[in-house]
Amino acid sequence: MTDKSNMQSLEDQKLKEAYFTASQGQLIWQRFKKNKSALIGAWTLIILILSGIFAPFLTPYDATIAGRDKDYLNGAPQIPRFCDDSGCSARPFIYTFERTRSIKTNFRWVTEVKTGLEDRRYVTFFSKGMEYKFADMTFERHLFGVDKGMIHIFGTDSTGKDIYSRTLSAINTSMAVGTIGVFIAFVMALIIGGIAGYYGGWIDSILQMITDTVRTIPSIPLFMALAAFIPDVWSAEMRFFFISMVLGFIGWPTLARRIRTHLLTERNQEYVLAAQLCGASPKHVIRRHLLPSFTSYIIVDLVISFPYMVLSETALSFIGLGLKDPVNSLGVMLQNVTSADVLLNYQWYFIPVIFFIVLVLAFVFVGDGLRDAADPYSDSKK
Amino acid sequence: MLQFSKFVFVRASLAILTLVLVSFIVFSLMELVPGDCAERYLAFKNSQGSIISLADIEAERVRLGLDQPYLKRWGLWIVNAFQGEFGDSCIQRLNISQLLGQKFWLSLGICLSSLVLAYAIAIPVGIISATSNNAVLNNSLRLVSYMGLALPNFLLALMIMLFSTVMFGNSLTGLFSKEFRDAAWSYDRVIDFLGHAWLPIFILGWSATAFAIQTVRALMSDEIGKLYVTAASARGVSGRRLLMRYPARHALSPIINSLGFDLNRIFNELPVVALILTLTEAGSLLIEALARSNDQQLAGAIIFMLTGSIVAINFITDIILALTDPRVRRSIVG
Repeated sequence: MTDKSNMQSLEDQKLKEAYFTASQGQLIWQRFKKNKSALIGAWTLIILILSGIFAPFLTPYDATIAGRDKDYLNGAPQIPRFCDDSGCSARPFIYTFERTRSIKTNFRWVTEVKTGLEDRRYVTFFSKGMEYKFADMTFERHLFGVDKGMIHIFGTDSTGKDIYSRTLSAINTSMAVGTIGVFIAFVMALIIGGIAGYYGGWIDSILQMITDTVRTIPSIPLFMALAAFIPDVWSAEMRFFFISMVLGFIGWPTLARRIRTHLLTERNQEYVLAAQLCGASPKHVIRRHLLPSFTSYIIVDLVISFPYMVLSETALSFIGLGLKDPVNSLGVMLQNVTSADVLLNYQWYFIPVIFFIVLVLAFVFVGDGLRDAADPYSDSKK
Repeated sequence: MLQFSKFVFVRASLAILTLVLVSFIVFSLMELVPGDCAERYLAFKNSQGSIISLADIEAERVRLGLDQPYLKRWGLWIVNAFQGEFGDSCIQRLNISQLLGQKFWLSLGICLSSLVLAYAIAIPVGIISATSNNAVLNNSLRLVSYMGLALPNFLLALMIMLFSTVMFGNSLTGLFSKEFRDAAWSYDRVIDFLGHAWLPIFILGWSATAFAIQTVRALMSDEIGKLYVTAASARGVSGRRLLMRYPARHALSPIINSLGFDLNRIFNELPVVALILTLTEAGSLLIEALARSNDQQLAGAIIFMLTGSIVAINFITDIILALTDPRVRRSIVG
């Protein structure tokens, strides 16, 4: 035997050793890394979440009515450019818009674009703008802005609020609603599914009956019925918490069922019996053997159920039963787009939809990738 | 035969038990809502100009039977509900079964049609994608089913409206043309209805189809690898005959089983889509009842009827499964 092949077999040995001694988390990560679409989804998700968190810095204006541009209502997106008829500039610029109303325009407000050299508004970076609070400190630097007036790269809505600023803050809201909803659903599912699965027998039958019944009730109509009765005097923040809570309360049955099924099959496995025969207490069995056996599944389930929460919230806000201004969410932003006026004239209202679809898709890809990665048999299936 | 009727009986009583539980949940939720029917009605009258005293509210409560204990009222409600009688609507003071009547059946018809459409597309497409090795086809189907989730129905509806408004100047809304809205059913009205109903059916079927394709595909690819399929092909069965007689039959049972939950998903999307497409005849009554007027009596009735139709579908699919699947039949007859 040559030295080289010896080295190789040693390396093989090491690889195998690494494989067999790897923790579950390491194995899942190894498999997840191989999945291209899931990895792209994960990066997209991270970028979106970060841009949601740092929205006050990344966006030039406040997402609420405080950041409105009263001179540019229902304004079209302003795309910075470098060149025009009167020459090029190293700094990107936009034009000044002026709204006028006179006999010439039949007394309707008409937006006029001034393309003259002196009407250019130059884009500035790390510019000083409105103050905002982040982590209890006050800042006033924004990623970009313009030297005069305001810039709206996605346009503005009917009250002059910057759609770009609103979009990024809407991501934040969607994530928060999803997190609270998933967390509540998870806690309820863990308690109910855990009790049903661990005790089995008649307790299990009764809990299953209740779970199945809750599952048959269509959740959105039920939710609408509940949300319709939120008193008008509630503040936007209270509505927000109430709605995330109700989403959680409606979303638990599917998760509870899976936890229960998993517990029922796992508790009769040989390794549990072996642990019991070695004299392990029930507490030890649950903590050291049962819980680790399904944490990965639960994480996957949580990721998969996340987009459903976000979608429900959007649908509800969209029909006016969910969140309300000044809390921003995609549903709130889309509230008024069904009118023919918007459909025909203000198509930039739909720009946030793209972000939203990307967000949901990213979640779905990551969820699918995690599910495949967490399945120990996924390699042998292929 | 005796065992089979016993099976039907057990299933039917389970379905009724589920409905009773549902009615309890729905009724309790409607009770938890602040304010009751009497207050709502009198508040409405108050806004019309008449002056209302506390004694009036009490009298109204007695008249509506709201002073009775909770369980007794629930009992009365459920007994009436099973007879299709939901009492009067809180605000509109109209009999609920009259108010809902045709509208409910229209909505149910639309939802069932989109369910049928979803599976009419999903079964052949799912089978093809499970059996073919064409990477382009498989990937594009995967993308379509992802889009079914990420592009929710109401966004799809908005997109189609946007497109048709820009292209044809018609936003394709409503279920009937103006002249047929209140007309009696006639041949022309049916034609008019079909001319409008395809859009909501398509939009409601959109995500259902995406889900169904994924299910059919997963089930088929699980079954195709099994030994009995290899055995059958070794015996010389091949092509479509092999697929239809062996794996497709096995894959069908879980699909029939999940029809009820598919209907549930479609019901979830109905109100929002109905609002966008202004289907006043169908689901948007729900929104009106729930949101605009806070009508708990009507809301309860609608949710109960929706759930009732899901329970009915589950019951029917159980029976169909017992009739068509020899494995299930064996386990019943013993």
